[in-house]
Parts: sequence; C-alpha cells; structure tokens
Amino acid sequence: MNTTSHSRFTKTVGHFLLCLLPLLFFIFAWELATAWEPKRQFIFSTPLKVWNALITLTLSGSLFKHACITVWEAVCGFLLGTSLGAVVGLSFWHSRLAARIARPYISMIGSIPIFAMAPIIIVWFGIGITSKIALAFLPTFIVAVTQSYQGAMSVEQRFLRMMQVVGAKRMQVFRLLVIPSSIVWVVNAMKLNIGLALLGAFVGEFISSEQGLGYLIVKASGLYDMATVFAGVIALAAIALILTAAVDQLERYLLRWKAPEAT
Amino acid sequence: MTPVVSEDQGKGDLPVLEVSALDFSYSAGLTKTPVVQGLSLKIFPSEIVTILGASGCGKTTLLNLIAGLIAPIQGSIKVTANSGERGRIGYIFQQDALFPWRTVRDNILLALHLDPSRKKDVSESRMNTYLETFHLPQSVLAKYPSQLSGGMRQRVSIIQSLMFEPELLLLDEPFSALDFYTKLRLEAEFYQLIKREKRAAILVTHDIDEAIALSDRVLIMDRSGNFTENFSINLGSSRDPEQARGAPEFSSYYQKIWKELKAVIQE
Repeated sequence: MNTTSHSRFTKTVGHFLLCLLPLLFFIFAWELATAWEPKRQFIFSTPLKVWNALITLTLSGSLFKHACITVWEAVCGFLLGTSLGAVVGLSFWHSRLAARIARPYISMIGSIPIFAMAPIIIVWFGIGITSKIALAFLPTFIVAVTQSYQGAMSVEQRFLRMMQVVGAKRMQVFRLLVIPSSIVWVVNAMKLNIGLALLGAFVGEFISSEQGLGYLIVKASGLYDMATVFAGVIALAAIALILTAAVDQLERYLLRWKAPEAT
Repeated sequence: MTPVVSEDQGKGDLPVLEVSALDFSYSAGLTKTPVVQGLSLKIFPSEIVTILGASGCGKTTLLNLIAGLIAPIQGSIKVTANSGERGRIGYIFQQDALFPWRTVRDNILLALHLDPSRKKDVSESRMNTYLETFHLPQSVLAKYPSQLSGGMRQRVSIIQSLMFEPELLLLDEPFSALDFYTKLRLEAEFYQLIKREKRAAILVTHDIDEAIALSDRVLIMDRSGNFTENFSINLGSSRDPEQARGAPEFSSYYQKIWKELKAVIQE
C-alpha cells in the first residue's frame, strides 16, 4: 500500500468512525435512560434487549423470512413503478398535449397519502403479496413519471439544435438524445423511490397481512414486545441502506461519463 | 441589394450558398423587431467568410436561418452541393454540442448512427484521418467529453461536424473560449482543412485579428441586419493564420475593418 492510498484508507476509516459516533452516543444515552427503570424498559425497551431480540429472530430464521417478503414486495413495486413510470414520463415528450392533460391527474394521485389508498388497494387486490406490490408501485410510478418527464423536457437546446441541423429524425432525437440525457432524472427518481417502495410495502403489511416486517412489527407492538418492534425497524433500515447502496452503484455505472465532482 | 460576392469569385464554381433578399423579424406580442432585412449573400467552395458586427445585430440569427433552425419571413436560402443536389450544413457553436454520455468515438460516429447507409469502415477511416489532421491521439476515442480540455473538445466537435460531409460549415465564435496558443493551432488546422477539402465556411466572431487571419472575405453587419462592407483579404492562398498576423498588409486591413466596425457599433 503506497502513501497516498494508505492516507486515503485512514481518512475513510476516520470518516466511518466519526459517522458512528452519534449512533454510539444514542445507544449509550438510551441504555443509561432505561437501565434501572422497568417502566421505561416496557415502553422503550433497552439496546441490550433489542440486540437479543435481533439475535433470536435471526437464529430462528424468522427475521430473514419476513425481511425477504418485504424486500420482494418493495423491489417488485419499485422496479415496475420506476420502469413503467420512466417509459410513460419519457413518452410524454412526444405529445405536450397528452402531458398537459395528464399533469393534473398525476399531481392529484401523487398528493393522496398512500395510507388513504391502502384500503382500496387491499380490497381490489386481496391481502396477499399483490396488494403490497401495488402499494409500492403506485407512489414510485408517479415519481418516475414526473421526474422522467421533467428530464425529457430539460434537454439542452444546443443538443436539440445540433440534431436538427444534421437532419436527425424525431425518433432518432428521442433515442439518441432525449432518453440518455434524462437518465440523470430517472436515477433521481430511483433514489426517491427506494423509500417510497418500502413505505408502500410496509403500509400494506401494516394494514392487513400475515407476513413481512410490517406484520412482524404490528404483531409485536400489539403484545408490547418493544424489543421485537425495534428489531423490525432496524431490519427495515438495513434493507433501505442496502437498496440505496445498490442504486448508488447503478448510478455510478449509468452516469460514469459525468466529470468527477471536486472534493 | 445585390448579393455580396468577392471580386475573383463566381467565375467557375457554383456558389455553395446563395441567400437572396432575406427578411427575418422576432415577434413579441404585436411588436415585430426586424433582425435581418433584404440580405443577400453568395459563398463559393473553399471560401471562408467572416461576419463581424455589434452584439445583437443578427449574426447568429443569420447562421440559424442558413442552418434551417428558424424560417425566414421572406427570401430564399439555397445550399448546393457540387453535384447540384441539396448541400449539407455543419454548425459549430461556441459551446460544443458533444453528448456527454457518449465517448469521443461515439460522438464522432454520430453521422454513422443517424444514417445506417453509411459504411462503417469508410466512416472509421475518415475519423482516423481527421484525428491526424487535428493532432488528436487515438487514445482520445475511449474518453468522455468531460475528460477533455476545451481545445480538444472543440476539435472533436469540428470532426463530428465534418463526418456529416457538409458543403458549408457555420461557426459561431468557435474559438473564443480557447487560450491564445490553442486558438492559433486550431485556426491553422481548420484553415488548411477548408482549403484542402474545398468546403466553405461562415465564421461569426468579435475578433478582428481572427477574421483577417482566417478569411477570404470579411463582411460587416450593421444594426439593420444587412452588410455594409465587404473586405476581400489577400494574404496569399498558402498562408498560415499565424503567419498572416505578421504580414505587412495585416495592419492595413485591421485599420480599415476597425474603422468600419466602429462606425457600425456607434450607430
């Protein structure tokens, strides 16, 4: 390891430890506030109990089983919503009239809280996995439509003028210019959609389900088993982190042509 | 107004560009602002014509009209190839129009991607020739535009335009953002290429030095959107734009052009 990469490594480790500090402080304060107070332990649990619940649930395979179901629902909704939304949003580039007609409907659907939609979706699609996928799909679709349409309409004029001068056909402009230049916006939609897809799946499980992290959390909270509730929340956070990291990797690949930002 | 032509042109070749009685106005509500009025112009193969004028006098609008980006209110614009068919146009802007998500190679081969009837090996061989002409190494092909210097980007941009085999090149201040040394090199490469390949070019610039060093003719545009003066520049046909700046006649051209340009700017 040369000096430069060694110092970079030290810096990365240093940053990581710095990022951990607030978390460690929080755990310490939590433990301190609940250690000798059984009443508080009943409401807030303790870091140690949460840790034990995490270990127990992991060893029994229950946490993994519920997490896999939530991930499957969220990822299916995310992929369907983002890809279909991107296709629809980019297609609006072909017709401003269609975009103008669709805009108020998209804004309206986008502003309805997913909690309000959940009972309708569950009635339509049942209490199985399909309704959770639909609840993850809905907000991600709306965000992807809005973002990708915005991207399609933000193509730089100099590129459009150049394509016009060289006699490119409309479909060629769409394929070679509009789609690739909107990728930045689609990636932004993906980043926003990770959280929305997880929320949709979770809300579905929360309202009516027999599996998934939402179900695990609701069931545990009904029994005042706060340690399991926290274990479920931690698992959800870990899934969000992993999915965000995956989208970051995809972004690095799709936008590899971008100049590195100054640090 | 009679078409602006140089004294020694129009004898053998057909004009690449023929603009007749061109009118164009910008409309804002009911108000119309005339930008180009009754303008006529002829340009022949191998000719480099520079347009000078005050900011906002309509130089870029004229290029946009010729490129077909905007339609004239009146008049005609004819771009003709040697074969008599409709000629092609290349447009190089001050800020290049290289797609940032495509490698240099894919940017240069855009003509091939837009027109599959072009032969891949012919296009690649032309690309390699132009890379040599503009002193760009092969290694540049795998890079993205964001990894290139300003001078390299502008070279790639010119090559990209040339790959469409345009009879007429329109250049809107293409060298203005470059440092002086890069500008001189690029001007020389560009000048030699235009003369060798017998293409024609219209250059819009604010730099009188550049106009004299590169051009066969310098046209001064006034605020009414017409040409007031047509200077033929005779500094020898095998000249280099860098050497041209040291020619004895250079300062005399400069004085004449500056006097006319000053009058137009102060109008």
